Amino acid sequence: MSDKDKIRVAVIGAGRIGKIHIENLVNKIPEAEVVCVADIQVDKTEEWAKKIGVERVISDPTEAIQDPNIDAVVICSPTNTHADLIIKAAKAGKDIFCEKPIDRDLSRIETALEEVKDAGVKFQVGFNRRFDHNFRKIRLLVKDGEIGDVHIVNITSRDPNPPSIEYVKSSGGIFVDMTIHDFDMARYLTGSEVIKVYAVGNVLVDPKIGEVGDYDTIIATLEFENGAICTIDNSRKAVYGYDQRVEVFGSKGSAIAYNDRPTNVVVSTQDAVYMDKPLYFFLERYKESFVQEMQDFIDCLKNNEEPLVTGKDGFQAMAIAVAATKSAKEKRPVRLEEIL
Amino acid sequence: MRTFKFGIIGAGRLGKIHTMNLMRISGVKVKVIADPQLEAIKEWTDNLGIPKVVPDWHSVINDPEINAVVITSPTTFHAEMITAAANAGKHVFTEKPLSHDLASAKKVLALLEKTDVKVQVAFNRRFDHNYKKIRDFVASGQIGEIHLIRITARDPFLPNIEFVKKSGGIFFDFFIHEFDNIRFVTNSEVEEVYAGGSVRWDPEIKNAGDYDTAFAVLKMKCGTLCVIDSSRQAVYGYDQRMEVFGSKGRITSLNDRETNVELKNHETVTMDKPLPNFQKRYADSFNAEMQDFVRCLVENKTPLVTPKDGYKAILIAEAATRSARENRTIKIEELEDISSLLNG
Repeated sequence: MSDKDKIRVAVIGAGRIGKIHIENLVNKIPEAEVVCVADIQVDKTEEWAKKIGVERVISDPTEAIQDPNIDAVVICSPTNTHADLIIKAAKAGKDIFCEKPIDRDLSRIETALEEVKDAGVKFQVGFNRRFDHNFRKIRLLVKDGEIGDVHIVNITSRDPNPPSIEYVKSSGGIFVDMTIHDFDMARYLTGSEVIKVYAVGNVLVDPKIGEVGDYDTIIATLEFENGAICTIDNSRKAVYGYDQRVEVFGSKGSAIAYNDRPTNVVVSTQDAVYMDKPLYFFLERYKESFVQEMQDFIDCLKNNEEPLVTGKDGFQAMAIAVAATKSAKEKRPVRLEEIL
Repeated sequence: MRTFKFGIIGAGRLGKIHTMNLMRISGVKVKVIADPQLEAIKEWTDNLGIPKVVPDWHSVINDPEINAVVITSPTTFHAEMITAAANAGKHVFTEKPLSHDLASAKKVLALLEKTDVKVQVAFNRRFDHNYKKIRDFVASGQIGEIHLIRITARDPFLPNIEFVKKSGGIFFDFFIHEFDNIRFVTNSEVEEVYAGGSVRWDPEIKNAGDYDTAFAVLKMKCGTLCVIDSSRQAVYGYDQRMEVFGSKGRITSLNDRETNVELKNHETVTMDKPLPNFQKRYADSFNAEMQDFVRCLVENKTPLVTPKDGYKAILIAEAATRSARENRTIKIEELEDISSLLNG
């Protein structure tokens, strides 16, 4: 493919997630080219970027956004920078891939998405789990009618360890930071919109998390327009690893996704029968999904198609997260219309 | 060795199961069965050689030879029958729930606390090999502190509408097992409940004021958060799974199947569906709970599952029913105004 046909991408933010996206774009997605990376830590990033063949590293994301030789931007900088960058990129006519969450404030999300709409650019949110092989299969089973009408969705998401207390303090709370993936997954699998949210939280892993006003263990239930019910459980600490399971139950049956493991080897001894623990954390577990979501984004740009996960999905997931936070705090169910 | 003479009140599905289990226990004799539909059970009782079959349950209670009664009548009769049996000095094995509503359950509990007879409530899940193992593991400390419990409980096919109308609703009739199991595993009490439901299968169930698809979220006093999801109809069979997640790990019970045989061909890989109904799935637990009841009579011990357990499960069921109806979180203490009753 000639360089002229490649989608020219600028990646803003070369932290953990930014590096993953850059590497995937460079190594796994031939239809795209990483033309430049913007990060405040220019020197460190330059050193890393050179090793994978990305020459241009700058400090100012606006420079990248305004560059006429760039077709799309991938936003992986801290959450509080997203909205501004989206607005600038939209105004500059760039297609946009933005990491979740778009913003923690619903009205700022709305403002940013208005700009996107007015500019007519493509916009995809980084809800990568939709692109995971297991969950995508379940979604296809639902779409193909093999499960019938969706009655119940059960989602379990448990991290191997909580983030630092510093991170927790500025995360916006567990529903906004962690459960938001499950809220998006529930919408994805049911194909419907949430009308009511109930959530309850507790502090069972680390009292310090409670001291900064958050929970580390939660249950949330969602009731959908199409009658489906979703139950979600989260914990910030599962000693056996990263636990990510989904079940969809419907009028024709049930489909369950279990955890992926490093190997499928089962050992039987005099003492016990055992197998691998789940893959340790999201980087290993969702490695492929990060490639898939970016491939999908680039394909949409090439084929002039709407992305699978749009601004509306980003907005809805955050609205549910806000409702869940309110529900847990006020100990009552919250209708989504109260939040919207 | 002493022989305990039993009277069975109600010869429906469960009455038959309990009768046949009792007849296998040495030191036990099933002397009389009471059921309003004598014709329907005649062949069965003849085959088993039951000495006496009567239409009226009072004759069981009034029979001085009877040491213990098994009550498997419709729920609306439980309170009256348990009370009569206890007053007549008969030990009681009663099917769940203890009674059909909170008020009558309170009355029964108050009365039973004043009598000497042994009363066991048939929360058979406690005696199931899988759930018992989970409970023992938790009790041993190997799971650490319990953070989350997840239960899935689905019936294979919808109950008939006449049954639904008399059942007290899905939380009283179906969820109540899980409420008891959660108390059993955590050894704690429920603090607050939020529940909800919908009708996805049969509009008649909606007309009857019930749900066929429902969930309940419980917060325990020990801090554990629990969620139960339920449906009255799982096309693939009777689905009963439980997971307990704690600070030291996670323990899960999946479905028992008829065989563990796997078939692989060019199209797919298949295994047995779950056991199709409660009779098959819990056969051993019905046996174990009845054996334990008899053992308590013989050894003069308090049964594992008492009227207090029966009452507490009803409290939770009532809270769940109200929560779903009124769309709000219900604190158990709202429903408990006779707290002195539950001390000790």
